[in-house]
Amino acid sequence: MADTPIPLEVRDITKRFGDTEVLKGLSLTAHKGDVITLIGASGSGKSTFLRCMNLLEQPNEGELIVHGENIAFKTTRRGREPVDWKQVERIRAKLSMVFQSFNLWAHMTLLENVTEAPIHVLGKSKREATEHARQLLDRVGLLDHADYYPAQMSGGQQQRGAIARALAMDPEVMLFDEPTSALDPELVGDVLKVMRDLAEEGRTMIVVTHEMSFARDVSSQVIYLHQGMVEEIGPPKEVLDNPQSDRLKQFLAPKH
Amino acid sequence: MIDLQGYGPRLLEGALVTLEVAVLSLLLALTLGLLTASAKLSRHWLFHRIATLYTTLIRGVPDLVLMMLLFFGGQIGVNMITDWLYYEFDVDIFININEFIAGVVTIGFIFGAYMGETFRGAFLAVDSGQLEAGRAYGMSNRLIFRRIQFPQMMRHALPGLGNNWMVLLKTTALVSVIGLSDMVRIAAEATKATHEPFLFMIPVAVVYLLIASVSEWIVARLQKHYNVGFGEADEWNN
Repeated sequence: MADTPIPLEVRDITKRFGDTEVLKGLSLTAHKGDVITLIGASGSGKSTFLRCMNLLEQPNEGELIVHGENIAFKTTRRGREPVDWKQVERIRAKLSMVFQSFNLWAHMTLLENVTEAPIHVLGKSKREATEHARQLLDRVGLLDHADYYPAQMSGGQQQRGAIARALAMDPEVMLFDEPTSALDPELVGDVLKVMRDLAEEGRTMIVVTHEMSFARDVSSQVIYLHQGMVEEIGPPKEVLDNPQSDRLKQFLAPKH
Repeated sequence: MIDLQGYGPRLLEGALVTLEVAVLSLLLALTLGLLTASAKLSRHWLFHRIATLYTTLIRGVPDLVLMMLLFFGGQIGVNMITDWLYYEFDVDIFININEFIAGVVTIGFIFGAYMGETFRGAFLAVDSGQLEAGRAYGMSNRLIFRRIQFPQMMRHALPGLGNNWMVLLKTTALVSVIGLSDMVRIAAEATKATHEPFLFMIPVAVVYLLIASVSEWIVARLQKHYNVGFGEADEWNN
């Protein structure tokens, strides 16, 4: 096992929007099978941190190593950016993302959504991709919806579909950006159940979430962010059940 | 049967010229429109400037004036270049600006500016999350454009494109001014010779209407194609 490269390593990421520094030197290492949850108040930088991991946001400083491959950056007049966008594309294909607002492609059926990137990015044959997609849709309980368009499905169904789309890439790491925040409460359970299954089968996951019970039950590590810095980090038993800082205590306190 | 007094075949030829000018100008206008929209949406200031100059110029000057400028002015420009080549290098060539090409280029140029604005608005109407999902799955910009951005943009662009096409079709009547034998010019000649304006202009109007109706049908079909996934949800849910 010593030879297997670490799926994702992030070192000292900083990010500024104008004069505001939203990430102040964040690091994270995701070993195979880790489920790392990022929690924190809105504005703490957790989503931005996640989006820096697949370079949807360009970090101003810091290193990113995916499956042993270090991403090269250069500084131009516009700021810091990757040297080789082909490398970025290759790396993004290994880190599939599940978005808060699903972002299934609206003009494609669910099945087409799931086969799109495997065919056009990974170069799989249509037959192979379709077969795999059908298995995955079956797994998230949506095989009978394969020919539906996103607009014809509920939010929960769309998000499970989006998870199938992410799984179709056979990703090194799955990035979840508040996957249940846009859902009606009664639809959250189905999505979380799928995510729990994934964690159990040993998927490496990084999850930005407000679902504390999910964080407690599933994660190997919880990171509490405050104003772009790590305030507490550790296994859920420590961080969630025995918080040290007043801020985290307050954050975890039952509302109302 | 209406007696077109022997002008029938020539009118038909003219109708064909009208259709050819219209379709070729459309292709040029769509290409220029896409380029203009991309330039206006790009972060590069020079592209942005050029595109803005182009649309401002074209939209601010009458079509007829532009056409004459390009046709007559273009010929003068070409002559100057060939003269210079002759005196300096003893190369003797003569290029005559062809009315057909001048017509297509001018109309294509004019409508490229309008198409550009239509495309620009349509690109902006595409939800950015759709493109972001493409990026997050390792797609190149080119692939995102082809597979996501273009098909979704077309849904917003089609009504405007269809409208521009109708105006473009009617603008082709202007090419008769620079001497191209389109349907309108031949009908005008026939009218002068026979003093029967209705006999020739009504068929011309009918042909325009016919082309317009067929176009509307095509646009409606395209509209349906690009609306897949966006239409009324009730339609599918039962």
